Amino acid sequence: MFKRLALTAAAALMWLAVAWPGSVAAADAGAVRVISKALSESAAGGTAPSFADGALPVTLPDDWAVTRPRFEGSVWYRVEFDRPPGTDANELLALYIGRACSNVEVHLNGQRIFSGGRMSEPVTRNCHYPQLVTLPGALLRDQGNLLDLQVQGHSLQRVASRQRAGGLSEIKVGPHALLAAEHANRLFWNVTAVELVSIVLAALGCVMIGLGLMNRRETYLGYFGWLSLTWGLLSARLWWRDMPWDNGVAEFLFCSAFAPLVALAVQFLLSYADLRSRWIENALAAQWILMPATLLLLGPSRLFLATSVWYPLFALELAAATGLHLVVTWRRKRHDFWPMAVLLLAVMGIVLYEQALQQGVIDAPDVPLLQLAVPLLFSGIAARLLQVFARTLRAAEDGRDTLEARVKQVTAEIEQNFAQLAELRVEQVTEKERKRIAGDLHDDLGAKLLTIVHTSESERISTLAREALEEMRLSVRGLTGKPMRLADALADWRAETVLRLGQANIEADWRSPADETDQLLPARGFVQTTRILREAVSNIIKHSGASHCKVRCTISDRHFGLTVQDNGKGIPMELDGKLDRGHGMSSMKHRAKQMQGQCLVESGPGYGTVIRLTLPL
Amino acid sequence: MNNILLLEDLPEIRSWLKVLIKQVFPDSQIHEAARVHDALELVSAVKFQLALCDLGLPDGSGVDVVAALGKSQPECQSVVVTIHDDDDHLFPALQAGAFGYLLKEQARELIAEQLKRMSQGEPPLSPSIARRVIKHFASQTQQQERPQNMPHVALTDRENEVLLRVAKGFTLPEIGVQLNLSRHTIADYVKQIYRKLNVSSRAEAALEAQRLGLFRR
Repeated sequence: MFKRLALTAAAALMWLAVAWPGSVAAADAGAVRVISKALSESAAGGTAPSFADGALPVTLPDDWAVTRPRFEGSVWYRVEFDRPPGTDANELLALYIGRACSNVEVHLNGQRIFSGGRMSEPVTRNCHYPQLVTLPGALLRDQGNLLDLQVQGHSLQRVASRQRAGGLSEIKVGPHALLAAEHANRLFWNVTAVELVSIVLAALGCVMIGLGLMNRRETYLGYFGWLSLTWGLLSARLWWRDMPWDNGVAEFLFCSAFAPLVALAVQFLLSYADLRSRWIENALAAQWILMPATLLLLGPSRLFLATSVWYPLFALELAAATGLHLVVTWRRKRHDFWPMAVLLLAVMGIVLYEQALQQGVIDAPDVPLLQLAVPLLFSGIAARLLQVFARTLRAAEDGRDTLEARVKQVTAEIEQNFAQLAELRVEQVTEKERKRIAGDLHDDLGAKLLTIVHTSESERISTLAREALEEMRLSVRGLTGKPMRLADALADWRAETVLRLGQANIEADWRSPADETDQLLPARGFVQTTRILREAVSNIIKHSGASHCKVRCTISDRHFGLTVQDNGKGIPMELDGKLDRGHGMSSMKHRAKQMQGQCLVESGPGYGTVIRLTLPL
Repeated sequence: MNNILLLEDLPEIRSWLKVLIKQVFPDSQIHEAARVHDALELVSAVKFQLALCDLGLPDGSGVDVVAALGKSQPECQSVVVTIHDDDDHLFPALQAGAFGYLLKEQARELIAEQLKRMSQGEPPLSPSIARRVIKHFASQTQQQERPQNMPHVALTDRENEVLLRVAKGFTLPEIGVQLNLSRHTIADYVKQIYRKLNVSSRAEAALEAQRLGLFRR
């Protein structure tokens, strides 16, 4: 960014060097007569004085502040000139007046040929306007032409700026074409350029004010906007010729406007460095009132005196604010230091130059440097501000985007968590309810069945009750149980089966896969298989009369198989060729079906029984 | 067997249990209680050799009585008599110091047989209980920070071997054959496992209490 600024500045400088006034029309300078000696006499009225006794020979440029201090009014200048060499009678000649302040009227050989505007209050303010007067050929003589210039002006004491004090510059007589070019050049630099930059600056100011209004936190934008706008309006003093007020009022108004201008500048510098001081704000506001008050108190005749105190004070304030700003920026925002330092120091340099100019230390330049350069520098600052602002904006937008994404993410997480919580809650409630039911079953049903088991006289009833109790416990287990590792289930079945067969003096031969598997069996699967196995073992113990029982387990990825084989007498056939229902075969098959599995029973008298259970995993 | 505590809230069950105990230990004096509160009073007054405790009681859990006995009368054998055969109910009682368990609905002869075996030092051990015990000791070993005064209870290799085999579904007599050990030796291992489970659980509980700042003595 700093590089780009530097490049822009370099380009502007090159352009200035090429277009600088004075480099124009130097070639034909021979045909132009430069007149720097004149007779002068102060006299009011529209007709030239006699230039007799009171006439004073002067060298042009004639600065009233030097030759006639405190003089207010009208001064007549008389010069004599011959037709410039190398020009014939037909050539259109012109008179060029670089500066006649405030206004001028021209008489040629006794005839009034030009007027710059009003010669009485409010006098037309032509101080910054170069004048080009066509010299009518009919009035021109080859030799001894008399040119009378009446200049209406103000004393230095009654104006705020040396450039608006009464006076007359060198005058030139020569071919119209040549002088017109010079005039146009000078007019452009003195007036048009200032007008242009003022308009641009005022527009820029309005934009910045708008930005400032929309971004209340960036107060410096508003200050800078008003500063630019005020400056732009204040530039009117250079190009606004016919004001409705006389010189005293106009000068007072323009001078007074500098107090708020400085206040805005100081406030901008401070707020841009994130500084704020009530004390300084109050002082600036007081100054805003104090300055016009002192101007009024001293009166229009001491205006220059007042401003030569106030303006340096303003310059000092600006310098102090700039210094403070740069120190703080150096400490806090190093990246922002160099662009602002270059721009602000340039502004300060121009302000100092202007001070020296107004104090009479150096001569006035050909162009109004202050009025041209400061707006350019302001534009530079504005560009910098806009850049910083845009960067901040982008950063803020990025931040907002990040935040938005984060909010979305967090919202999603919350929703997910909520869903999980709700799920968990449902699970917890379900679990709790299952436990309650299980507890109730145990405590009520269980206790009653237990009482039956141990108090019934009939062995059959107590056996039934015991079986019912076992069933109930299994059901509860299916109700509350979590999935079980298949290996653990096999261990439980093995322990129970081997124990029961052992108690019935039946030899048990249980073989299951040795390698551990991590497959899970749902609680219901475990419970149903336990019932099937229990039933099968009960059948063997009660009915088969077997002496040996073989159990084999197979586990594959999808299936689990259990084969129970005995060497008993088998299950007797019913009349219809089906196996005896009394042996619980149908309930075993039904349970297997419930689990999408199957239970096959093979049996024949004398061949023992084989029960093959296959379940999906 | 002199003094036997019988904690059971259902009168019918209590009466047949009483009969059953008289059958097994004819010389014993049976002290009955229907509630945890009464049982705890008896524990503080009478010195018991055997205690049969139901788990689900109107005013609490029999586990508390088992724990109180374990603390004040370590030589008393506590046996849980329950309708719950799942390890979720049994394991806390075993941790509290119970020596074994009886399932109420089993036939009287079977219960009597098991009770006799237990009193002779042959406690039962089911695969699911064995798995819980293995898990318990595994988590004990994993615990990194162990205060100096906490005893580190570990199972011997043989005890581990027995536990693993029980967990796989082998019965205690089968394991005796497999390891070429006598029935009594196997029973001793099981007893040791129960004892260590109790000691280790108490240490763990104390540690937990200390961590929670409840350990005040």
